Formats: sequence, structure tokens, C-alpha cells
Amino acid sequence: MSKVFSIAVAGNPNCGKTTIFNALTGTRQHVGNWPGVTVERKDGRLVYREQTYQVVDLPGTYSLSTYSIEEIVARDYIVQDAPDIIINVVDAANLERNLFLTTQLIEIGRPLVIVLNMMDMAYEKGLKIDTETLGIILGAPVVPVVGRTGQGIELLKEKINRVQTQISEKARYIEIPFQRDIETQIEIIRSALVQSGLPLANPRWVAVKLLEKDERIWKYLTDFPEKNHLREIVAGAVAQIEKIFKDSSRAAISHARYGFIRGAIQECVQNTIVDPVDYSRKIDKILTHRILGLPIFAVFMWLMFVFTFEVGAYPMAWIDSGVSWVVNTLYTILPHSMLTSLVVDGAISGVGAIAVFLPNIFILFFIIALLEDTGYMARMAFIMDRVMHALGLHGKAFIPMVMGFGCNVPAIMGTRILESRRDRILTTLINPFMSCSARLPVYILVAGAFFPQHAGTVIFAMYLTGVVAAILSGKLFSKTVLRGKSKPFVLELPPYQRPKMSALLLHTWERGQIFIRKMSTVILVGAIIVWALGYFPRDVKYATDYNAKYTHLKQTYQNQQVSVKQAFENSVAAQRRQYFSTMVPFRSSTHYQELTNQRDSLLQKNTAWYRTEVVKVDYAKNAEAMEQKWIGKLGKIIEPFVAPLGFTWREGVALITGFVAKEIVVSTYGVLFGVGNMATEQNPGIITSLKTSGMTPLIALGFLVFVLLYTPCLATMAAIRRETGSLGWTSFSIIYSLSLAWLLAYGLYRIGSALQWLS
Amino acid sequence: MGTQSGHQARHRLRADGLRLSDLHPGEHGRILEMGGSEHFRIRLMEMGLLINDSVEVDKFAPLQDPMEIIVKGYHLSLRRMDAEKIRVELVKPDE
Repeated sequence: MSKVFSIAVAGNPNCGKTTIFNALTGTRQHVGNWPGVTVERKDGRLVYREQTYQVVDLPGTYSLSTYSIEEIVARDYIVQDAPDIIINVVDAANLERNLFLTTQLIEIGRPLVIVLNMMDMAYEKGLKIDTETLGIILGAPVVPVVGRTGQGIELLKEKINRVQTQISEKARYIEIPFQRDIETQIEIIRSALVQSGLPLANPRWVAVKLLEKDERIWKYLTDFPEKNHLREIVAGAVAQIEKIFKDSSRAAISHARYGFIRGAIQECVQNTIVDPVDYSRKIDKILTHRILGLPIFAVFMWLMFVFTFEVGAYPMAWIDSGVSWVVNTLYTILPHSMLTSLVVDGAISGVGAIAVFLPNIFILFFIIALLEDTGYMARMAFIMDRVMHALGLHGKAFIPMVMGFGCNVPAIMGTRILESRRDRILTTLINPFMSCSARLPVYILVAGAFFPQHAGTVIFAMYLTGVVAAILSGKLFSKTVLRGKSKPFVLELPPYQRPKMSALLLHTWERGQIFIRKMSTVILVGAIIVWALGYFPRDVKYATDYNAKYTHLKQTYQNQQVSVKQAFENSVAAQRRQYFSTMVPFRSSTHYQELTNQRDSLLQKNTAWYRTEVVKVDYAKNAEAMEQKWIGKLGKIIEPFVAPLGFTWREGVALITGFVAKEIVVSTYGVLFGVGNMATEQNPGIITSLKTSGMTPLIALGFLVFVLLYTPCLATMAAIRRETGSLGWTSFSIIYSLSLAWLLAYGLYRIGSALQWLS
Repeated sequence: MGTQSGHQARHRLRADGLRLSDLHPGEHGRILEMGGSEHFRIRLMEMGLLINDSVEVDKFAPLQDPMEIIVKGYHLSLRRMDAEKIRVELVKPDE
């Protein structure tokens, strides 16, 4: 067993870093988060010539200054975990800006292999790059690669192997030279660091960082004997540079790095075409056109919505019927016991209710991958930034907001496309107010019952209320709890690219499996809790003697069946006498046929009647039982809390079960009113029961507002927990939405009552 | 000619010179000075916007903000309020 070497892949966003990472590791990948932060971390393995490499995909960054979490994560990994090799992926068609990160990687001084990716695009642009000379100048092997086709990947593996095994191939450490005035100050700080005797791997790099006023670098200097003295030295050096350059020391150093890059490019890059064709620019002339841009964008959004939710509805129905089939089959196979109920009613039905969202989620993630890989995502941000900026958000935040109308779970997971953590949290927090499709059945039921003439208007008003709540909450959060530094919007619009199916599927799977893995555990627990609330305690004392009802029903049914058969026999006997004279046998006569048909239909009708009556008794029994189960008791406990809104314990119970999934509110009502738990919107029983339960149109409206705004469902809460990475934000979201729902419903009820409106 | 006189008019609007956000699509500007916070200026440098660099304004978004510029051969989008912090002079495309 030889040692496993570690490789870190670094590079700018849009440089094709992920393509290179995928090409190196294949499907042997693991997606997770960097500890403590919600920055995606991808790990993979490369085996080449019997040597195993652990490959980490660092977040894409333009620099290693420490302004963003991504940059901090990338730099900390390089400095603290000291990977054996750093692969720096560089976009050959955009060399000058990409090399800025390279200069910083060179300064850190870990063994480096530079991958010149997108050589084909550079060639199209008419750029001829002398990779040999570039390698000499940068002090690291340079490998030209076309990531999309895999050209050059074998050579890259070979180079990685040689850098690791052959000393002669090892990157020779070069220093990025600065102007004399800067060098003098670097030297002053460097010698102070060296004299302290602190074991620093690269004192020159630390000195440069100190000059750049990088506060995080002090983390490595905790053991420095005279820190105050060092601070004085640094402050003096910074002041000296700022006096000479009449600019901040950071800017002066950045300028110097670009100076080095320009020199390298002059040496190694030849421009063979004066005015290359910019295909992307031509496409953008239409897609971000002054007038056409917005309609085209709207059509794309609409298509995304249709694909995710309408096309997704087919596999959704398959899963739904699959789950029902499993539930029914298990019920017939397994003996009726608590364990059966736990497995079937609790686990399978509960998880099944969430599993139906899988197709939506996978389709959405596929579309997001498509938008990202083609480059249109950046254009969406470009087009929508003005609108989202008004909410204190980045243009890209528009996508998860719209997706929230479908389902908040994929929408919240979609906030990963946002780069800043603050934007991600803000978008996540306001997303549940976008009224998801699961709330629609509740609106249809309640609005249909109480506002039959204006159901459409009421439902539309709910959607609108949700949007307004999201906007106002967004404004409120960005002014209070999420004030933070608003980052300047500096967004690269990368060239359009033809996406690769394998990459799209890989990205879809990477994100989708997180949903499967994490959600199933949370949902499982939640579903079992709700099941237990409705299952215990087992001994229920019924006020009505249901057994007598069942017996009575059965008796009536059987009597009726007997009398129908008797009537048939009598008719046959009567008719047969008439047929005696004819030659036709009575049993083959049409008359006899009619009589049998009549009998059969009566028998069937009777059976159907019996079944519905039994179900009605079942429902009534269930409703009475519910009141005595924990869930009913819970409803009674929270009754004082919802009573000011005009709600009864039934609404309380419905709202509690709505935590699992909001559409369950409808079926809970069905159970509570004893009209069936498979209640549909068309079920007249539930509507009648609602109307006679003492609920007024005003209370109903308040109830709808509450359902719209209150604590999101379990799956959404799990998504919030996952994407914010914090229990604090999750609880905040729960408490905030619950309070908002309560206050608005209360306000509506109070004001409405005072005005005697809708009473 | 039209853009030239337009530029003159725009130029007169500001006492302290033309800004990147004042340029029209297709116009080129040379960066003279970058204002705003140090964070902002460093971020722009990391993205390749340096003093003395020439940039071309490609277009404005359909809702007029942000704007798209071409710098070092690639396309970059900035909000107008940020572009307003960048002082430029109008130059001919080949300069």
C-alpha cells in the first residue's frame, strides 16, 4: 500500500473546473458541505498507475483574498491541509484574468500543475499559447486540455504522476516579483517573521498577505512572540507603500501581480486573429435584447415551470399509485397489528407522501444544471437583477422564488445557485411564503365552501398575499437580521456552451440524492410522530354503540338482499305460467333475461348502499376516536391559542397535521368531520360539514391566510435546516412564519368582526 | 457624430468627469480612477478591471440595470450604481 496523495483542484468560476474534476474522478464522487459552512464540497478518487489520489474540488474563486466564504474555504484548505498537488484550472480563452488566481497560488508555494482548459475556444479566438514557455515563467508544468472532449486528460494524469514521483519534474518555486519599493517592505516584514523563529512554511507569502492587510493571516501568527511589534512594522510598511503609490497597498500589490501576468502573456501568447467572431455575443444580441430579452426570459421560466410540475405530474401519479398499491397489498398480507399500522400508515404512507415530489425535484435540478452549463443562468441574473435588487437580493434569486410556487423544497435547495450566504439565507427564509402547490387543495376546499361565487378571486388573493409577505419580509430581514455587507454585483457572463448530457445527469444526481438521503430520515421521523399522535391511546370509549350500528346495518342489508331474491322468484313463478303454452323455453326468453338483470342491479345497488353506510359509520367512529387520541387532545390544548382567530380544536388539529404536508389539512378535516379521509375537493360531505361547523366566511378567510403563511411543512423545514446549516435560522423561520400567520389571521378576524364583514 | 455630441452633453452633466455608467453601448472608455470602498476596488481588480485599462460597454439589461461591459476579452456585468464609481475617458476602440 502506497501513500494516498491529495490533490486540490482550484480555479475561477466558469473555467471548466468541474469538468476537469469529473474527468479525473469519474463517478467516484462524494458531495457534501465544507465543515461549518454551506459551501458545496466535492471529493473524488483518481487511481492512476496503481497510485491513489484523493481529489478535492475547491470552490470556484477569482482570488484568494478572504472576502467571501468560498475564498476562505479554498485558502484555508490549501494552507492548512497542504495538499500534495494543486491543480489550477485556467481558462485559456480568458488567460489574463484567470492567471490572477494563479499568481496567488504560486505565492503560497505548494506543488502546482496548471491546466490550460478550453484550448479549443482559445484557438477559435485566434490565440496561440506557447505552453512550454508559460510553464517556465510560472514555474509549474502547463498542460493544454479540452475538458469537454477529454483531450489532454491522460497527459494531465501523467503529469500529476510525474510531479509526485520525479523530483526533476517538481514545480520549482518562483517568486512573483513586485516593484522595488514593495519588495523592500516585503523584505522588512519577512525578516521580522524569520527572526521570530516561528516555523512558517512560507514567510514571504505571509509577509505579502500582511502587506495586503489580510486579517485572517494573523490566525497563523497566534504564537508570534511580539505581535504588537509586528503590527507596528506592518503598519509602517503599509503606510510607506501607500505614500509611494498613492493607493491602498492591496491595490498596489494587485497591480503588480497583473504586471507580472502581462509580461508572461506578452512572452507566450500570440494573437493571430484581429477581430474574432464572438458567437456568444451574437446569441446574446437576441437573448438579452432590450425588448425581446424579457419575453424570452418569461417563456423560459414558464417552460421550466411546465416541465417541472406538469411533466413531473405523470411520474408523480405513478409513484402515488405505486405507494397506494404497496399500502393496500401490505394491508391484505400483514396481520392487523400495531407494527403493521406503524409500517404502513406511518412510515410508508408518510414517506410516500414526500416521495411523490422526487420527479419534480429531479426535473428541476436537471433544468437548473442545463441553465448553468449553457451559461443562460448568468443572463437570467443579468435580466432580473434590477427587480431582485429592490429586495436586497441578487438577480439569480429570482429562480428559487418562482419555483416556490411549485414546491418550496426544490426551490430552497435551488438557492445553492446563489454565491453569497446572506442571499441564500434571505431567499430561503422568504421562500415558504410563495404559495406552493400543496396549499392549493386547501384553498379550493375552503374557498369553494365559503366563497362559491368568488373562489377564483379568493385563491388569487392568497397567492398575491404570499408574494407581498415575501417581499415585505425580505425588506424587513435585509434591514434587520440580515443587514450584512451587500456585495457589489460583479457577475461574469461566460460564453454560451453546448451542455454535455453526462455532466447534466451527474449534477442532477448529485443534488437530487441529497434530497433522498436527508429528507427521508427527517420525513420518516415526522411521519411516525404524526402517526403515533393519531394511533394512541388505543382504548377509546365510544359514546355511540358502533357495533350495534354495524350489526343493524348488516341485518338490514341481508334482509333487503333476501327480499330482492324473493321478489325475483315470485315474478319468475308468475311469468313461467304464462310461458307454458309457448314453445320457447322460459329461461332463454328475453323476459327472463330482463328479470335477472333487474334482480342483479337491485342486489348491486343494495351492496353499494351497504358499503357506503359502513364507511359512514367508520368515519363517524374515527371522528369520535380522533377526539380522544393524542392528536385530538393536542388540538384541545392548542385551542386557546387559535381561539382568538375564531378557530376550533378541529382547525388546530388540521394545522398540526399540516406540518407534515400542507395538503394533509384537507384529509384531516375529512377525518375530523367523519366524512372520510380520502376527501376530495368535490366531496360534498366535507363542504357541508365545514359550513355547519360554525365557521363563518370571515374565519374561513383567516384560516386560509394562516395556512398560506404558517410554518412550512416538514420537508421544507428539513430543506431550510439543510441549506442554512443552522438550527437557529430554522427555528427563526418557524417562529417568524407562525407569528406572522397568527397576527394576520387575528387582525383579519378582529377588524372583520368589528366591521361585521363576511359574518 | 451623434454619440460624440451626446458624450459632450453627458460630460457636462458631471463636474468631475465621465463615468463608466455614462457610456453608451458600443463606446469604449479608459479607466482613470476607481472610487468606492477598498473592497469594491479590489473586487474589480480581481475581475480584471484596472486603471488605464480600456473597456467596451456592450449593452444595458432590458430593465436598464445592470450593464454589460467587455474587459480583457470577456463579458462582465455591473450595476450602474457601481459603474458610476468608475471614472473613465472616452477612447477610440483601438486605443
